[in-house]
Amino acid sequence: MIAFSAPIVDYHALAPELVLAAGICLVLLVDLFVPAHRRWITGTISGLVLLGALLPVVTLAVLGGDVRDVLSGDGISGRYVVDNFALVLKALFLLSGYVVVLLSTNEIEDGGYYQGEYYVLLLSSVLGMVMMASSRDLVSVFVALEFLSIPAYMMAAWKKRDRKSNEAGVKYYLLGVFASAVMLYGMSLLYGIAGSTKLSVIGEKITLSGPRTGIEVIAVVFVIVGFSFKVSAVPFHTWAPDTYEGAPTPVTAFLSVASKAAGFVGLMIMVYLAFPLARDVYRPFLWVLAALTMTVGNLVALKQKNLVRMLAYSSVSQGGFILMALAMAFTNGSEESSLRAIIVYLIIYAATNLGAFAVVIAVARRTKSAEISSYGGLFNYAPGLTVMMTLFLASLAGIPPLGGWYAKFGAFRAAVDAGGGWGYTIAIVGAANAVVATAYYITVMREMWMKPVPEGADTSAVKVPASLVAALTITGLATLAFGVVPGIIAKVGSLTDLTGAFHG
Amino acid sequence: MSDFLRDYLNVVWFAAIALVLASLLLGISAIIRPNKPSAEKNIAYESGVNPVGDGWSQSQVRYYIFALLFVVFDVEAVFIFPWATRLETYGTFGLVEMGIFVFVLLLGLVYAWRKGVLRWV
Repeated sequence: MIAFSAPIVDYHALAPELVLAAGICLVLLVDLFVPAHRRWITGTISGLVLLGALLPVVTLAVLGGDVRDVLSGDGISGRYVVDNFALVLKALFLLSGYVVVLLSTNEIEDGGYYQGEYYVLLLSSVLGMVMMASSRDLVSVFVALEFLSIPAYMMAAWKKRDRKSNEAGVKYYLLGVFASAVMLYGMSLLYGIAGSTKLSVIGEKITLSGPRTGIEVIAVVFVIVGFSFKVSAVPFHTWAPDTYEGAPTPVTAFLSVASKAAGFVGLMIMVYLAFPLARDVYRPFLWVLAALTMTVGNLVALKQKNLVRMLAYSSVSQGGFILMALAMAFTNGSEESSLRAIIVYLIIYAATNLGAFAVVIAVARRTKSAEISSYGGLFNYAPGLTVMMTLFLASLAGIPPLGGWYAKFGAFRAAVDAGGGWGYTIAIVGAANAVVATAYYITVMREMWMKPVPEGADTSAVKVPASLVAALTITGLATLAFGVVPGIIAKVGSLTDLTGAFHG
Repeated sequence: MSDFLRDYLNVVWFAAIALVLASLLLGISAIIRPNKPSAEKNIAYESGVNPVGDGWSQSQVRYYIFALLFVVFDVEAVFIFPWATRLETYGTFGLVEMGIFVFVLLLGLVYAWRKGVLRWV
């Protein structure tokens, strides 16, 4: 019989997850025991839970200090940790989750959807993301990934009576499960090679030399392919536009920001910890993915007539810029500038894209449409929303002084820091794409500012509910502040230690 | 050939073998099995009853919900049995863990109860 010794749990470090888990139970129970006309309270509680979970993240950040091992004991140390990297991303996930709750409240209440269940699933998904940021082990990475994906499959199909929403859910589910299977196969090979599920141990074993090189290549490629589905990198992006269009808009915002960021975090953890020595395999692969993702995403976005679909393709192409920085990690000592670039990009992109979706939701409350043509003359009857939308689109295009330019700047700097043929060519591909992308963002701006109002449209002032105003304020301020004073976010991005096991 | 391409040759081989293996298995059986279709054989389930009506028919959804409820208890049992055999080894830690686990599963049961699933209408 093997002796069992209970792990020592650092409750302070685990507090965000504990608050979320308790919150999920609370919201479920509240939903069951309040009368139907007061179910809206579940949304309020969910928002408070997310902010409550942010509190320990802040105290942990203030205390600072070394890497905290959440679970320590025989053979389980260093598999689930809290470090600066994890804290920044946990804060990002919790805040994005909060903004999505703000976006959801009216939409879900008016639609007569199942409110309590919706928030329970949303919180579960955020819990999975928060776990992902701390995971340093194959098992916990995979559990976190499933934990964040499975609720999202259901949320995509939330408009039960709507064919498109069902299609969105089924497509997302089938491709998501397929990707999980491919990734799991790669992970099983990794375990077979390294004899451990701990990423830092795998990182030492995957060297691409020795008798098992062929298997190592297949393992690395399969894991990256699995995550590529999650972050909708071309050619694994086919589910994204249909899912984004069919799902309820707040869910689309959630998928294209939080879920995608979590996929990137997982990919980043794998590349930085498990594959640092397998550069020759993942760099060309990610390089090609990045180039394809930027180019194809942009070219298809140019043709879109539906704003949500356009934002879907734009988010595919924005992912390409993150992949560009990731592909160039561990080339000529650029791992730190890559890491910084990716984190900064994820944060700024989250603020901007959530803001854009907030405007889409606010306008759709009036026009019941997301066609770009329905935005004609928006300035005449909703000047505030028009200004906000212009701000977000300009930031997505990367026009200074908005956040987006600093994000793009970081990604390009990472590529140029890496230098060499690989680095410079991808930077040129990226630059060309940044210009192309501006074209379709400007089309929407022109529609809002210069085109006449479509005939028969109601042009009385648009009422924006308080929760959407709050969401717009948060995202708008963040977008502006990150661009005007990039110093605040540059500081966050300079926290380079990814695990403490990063350098040894 | 560069190292990079040689590395990826592994992946290509892997995909090729997967394709060949699948098509061999299906192909061989397609070649060697006898193929003598007759009107009788084309009926569903050969010896079963001829289908009546179209594919859309209503079936009792209640059984399905009870099957789901069964999962709650089934999962509970699957995890409680192994824990119970080593109860003393896991000590207080294990007891608390199992308490949390059972609590979360109970929430599922409470959910089903409040949604009126437990009533047989």
